[in-house]
Amino acid sequence: MENYQPLFGVSLEDIQKIIASALSTGGDYADVFFEYSTSDELTLRDGEVNSVESSADYGAGVRVVRNGRTGYAFSETTGMPELLRAARTAAGIASDPGAAVRQVQVHPVAFENRYRIVRGWDEYPLTARREFLQGLDGRFRAEIPCISKVICNLAIDDSRIMFLNSEGDYFCDRRPCTTLSVVCILEKEGKSDNISTSRSFRMGSEMLGHGLADELIREVKEKSQYIFDARQPKGGDMPVVMGSGSSGILLHEAIGHAFEADFNRKGISVFSDRMGKKICSSKINVVDDATIPSNRGSLNVDDEGVAGQKTYMVTRGVLTSYLHDRISAAYYGVAPTGNGRRESFRFNPIPRMRATYMEDGEGTQEEIIRSVKKGIFVDNFTNGQVEIGAGDFTFYVKSGFLIEEGRLTAPIKDVNIIGNGPEALADIVEVAADSLVDDGAWTCGKDQYCAVSCGMPSVLVKSLTVGGSL
Amino acid sequence: MAVDIALKQGADSAKAIIEQSLSNSVTVLGSETDRIMSSSSRILFLDIYIDGRYGSFSTNMLREEELRKFIASAVEATRLIARDECRGLPDAELYYRGDAPDLGQYDSRFETLTTEERIGFAKSVADEVWGKEKRLLSIEAEWGDEVEHSTYADSAGFSGETLQSSFYASANCSIRGRGQEKPESWWYEGSMFLDSLNLKGCGATALSRGLESVNTKRLKTGRYNAVIENTVSSKMVSPILKALMGGSLQQGNSFLRESLGKKIFGDNLTLVDRPHTYGLPGSRYFDDEGVATRERDIIREGSVCNYFISPYYSRKMGIPATISGPSVLRFEGPSVIQKNELSLPTLMQKAGRGILITDFNGGNYNNATGDFSYGVRGFLFEDGHKVHAIREMNVTGNIITLWNNLIAVGSDGRVSSKWMIPSLAFEGLDFSGI
Repeated sequence: MENYQPLFGVSLEDIQKIIASALSTGGDYADVFFEYSTSDELTLRDGEVNSVESSADYGAGVRVVRNGRTGYAFSETTGMPELLRAARTAAGIASDPGAAVRQVQVHPVAFENRYRIVRGWDEYPLTARREFLQGLDGRFRAEIPCISKVICNLAIDDSRIMFLNSEGDYFCDRRPCTTLSVVCILEKEGKSDNISTSRSFRMGSEMLGHGLADELIREVKEKSQYIFDARQPKGGDMPVVMGSGSSGILLHEAIGHAFEADFNRKGISVFSDRMGKKICSSKINVVDDATIPSNRGSLNVDDEGVAGQKTYMVTRGVLTSYLHDRISAAYYGVAPTGNGRRESFRFNPIPRMRATYMEDGEGTQEEIIRSVKKGIFVDNFTNGQVEIGAGDFTFYVKSGFLIEEGRLTAPIKDVNIIGNGPEALADIVEVAADSLVDDGAWTCGKDQYCAVSCGMPSVLVKSLTVGGSL
Repeated sequence: MAVDIALKQGADSAKAIIEQSLSNSVTVLGSETDRIMSSSSRILFLDIYIDGRYGSFSTNMLREEELRKFIASAVEATRLIARDECRGLPDAELYYRGDAPDLGQYDSRFETLTTEERIGFAKSVADEVWGKEKRLLSIEAEWGDEVEHSTYADSAGFSGETLQSSFYASANCSIRGRGQEKPESWWYEGSMFLDSLNLKGCGATALSRGLESVNTKRLKTGRYNAVIENTVSSKMVSPILKALMGGSLQQGNSFLRESLGKKIFGDNLTLVDRPHTYGLPGSRYFDDEGVATRERDIIREGSVCNYFISPYYSRKMGIPATISGPSVLRFEGPSVIQKNELSLPTLMQKAGRGILITDFNGGNYNNATGDFSYGVRGFLFEDGHKVHAIREMNVTGNIITLWNNLIAVGSDGRVSSKWMIPSLAFEGLDFSGI
């Protein structure tokens, strides 16, 4: 484990003093989260890398918890006077000035490094990154005839985290995350449309190898062949076959958020009182996982000192676990599941998903499509949303196909799909053995932005409401 | 100082903005204070231009030694990218110069608010309903206040300052619904001035909106008239604004490309920008580049009057610069011009039978084609009255077609919103349900 005490200019003894101050009014728990994050971006437009962006964000947040309630403050400098002031502000959530002083016995959190960097970005300088993007632009233009514009963005994020809490859990962790995004504008016979794609990993510059460019070009090329023929379909209730990979957005929206235990602690989730009950087919196992090497949603340690782990939310159709931070875990009397996450030191942690996916079932995607007389097949999405209490979720389909008599026929695009979480989960009647975690740049926006990922085998949902024309 | 350092280190020109913010929030869950947050933040944004090359940088590490190192690295990075002759500071004639009157954006009451007062405000919102309605499962009431102070300077001599305060209260209710469902409802009140904030009724409004939404039904797929409530009507305006942005137009990723001066929408669509309106959020004399704002028609009686063109896109596209984006957007319909009262029930009456949209649930649109598809919540209405709540429905169409089907414009734009878009009535939208 690296030592970031010199980076933040504080010693462990200093941080213990901050914790002591934070607990001075009778808090049950306190933690201090230090962060130094940098982001370096290059953007290619009009055939040239003509924009560079960099940012640095530095500071520390102090949290105090008293009976499940939170006091939080942060400072953008890490001198002791500022940190102690933040601790006193956060301590305002409790009101027992005579609370006994507690000594923190420090012990490092044991964790496995899931984002080892093979080749750092310092070995792949800006000029090489620029050449990569220009090469990518050239290949897109050469291989996809109707492209009129290409916008490529390479974003290299790097966070150094140091943490100590009143339980004595201490860690330093370095979290890389690199994202390559491409937007292609296509024109044909006076019509214009766009195709976007992205890949994001907790990796170093080795990410740009491994056939990444080939993969992105293949994906856009395939979609470009039918985008101008695609239409919004006739709307209404119908069977929906969701292809493997990014269809995991269904899990994220339909059930993932409803399993985040802050919603359950507040009694507002549609799944609040379903623990231990059968909620879907026995073919279904749903996992939220921080342990996939280099995955965008993976974490060595969460933002409140709990080691990254794999959590089964649904096991053989039965609801087996919510996703907990320390507050909700204490409320339910269970161990935290490592889902306490925050956007940055400016925010208190809350339960958040990591990589959420469904495990393999049986059969193939082709068999599932063949079983549908009339419906749609979807495998490309942009965004989703859920109403936690009502359970109604939506996701936006960027492209897919009609299914007619068991065959993919006309291409479709730009439709919203809406369903009810518990009903949709129960309506998953077929699960293929082709589970895939999607490596796109998924970002969840529940109050704070967090990098996540999602995955799915191909499934058949008996009925969802598909937006469309009459 | 940051601009000087950048110039000394080799930049041809530079622009800096320091944004300082102070914010506080208190959340009450039921009758208990659940979360208290306090923050103070200061960030430097720096744009650097070197020989036609451009870089954009930000940092909150502002000690001089750290800053010099950061800027040195920024200058070095900027040197390594491709030239783009269109990059640069605005032309001199575009800058705001002058000492115009105060736009009424700041309430000094922010400085004297105490944590106890904030807790009291949040509790007053929750207390309106908590323990008074059996079907209410939880209420989360939040109070927040914030002040933002921005200082602008560039190497061409432009300097400016803005100071804005904001106060808000919100309530989010969870209600016992059908079966396992616990539908949520919300209400929000915001103002730049503490005394103008209408705190009373915030919790009660959230609850009543939730209670009337409990017994939801799904409707048959079909074509319905629609009224979109003033709380969410801006959702249908934002695609137009994005399509009129220089970036979208220059990249060909806009359903309004080559629309300037053309009649695209119906006579009853008039959108204007009124950036110098005293006491309203969004008012400003200049944008982030120092370009002077002025009153502009964006769309007048269906014709596109102005794109949003920054100096960069002006050079890139060879057309005059306007402004980088709207400030205080206003909708001028016949009812607004004639000062007729056109309330939500009146709009529903005008629309006859249809769907009142009170919230959107996800969805998106295609900026290149204008095609959209959104999930909706709301009510079936007839003759100005709500019949029952609806659920699990999508509305799908095209933005240009939608606005050509505008029937009537309300006179109920919310002053707490930067875009004061009123409730809107449309004819014949495609809804999908059962």
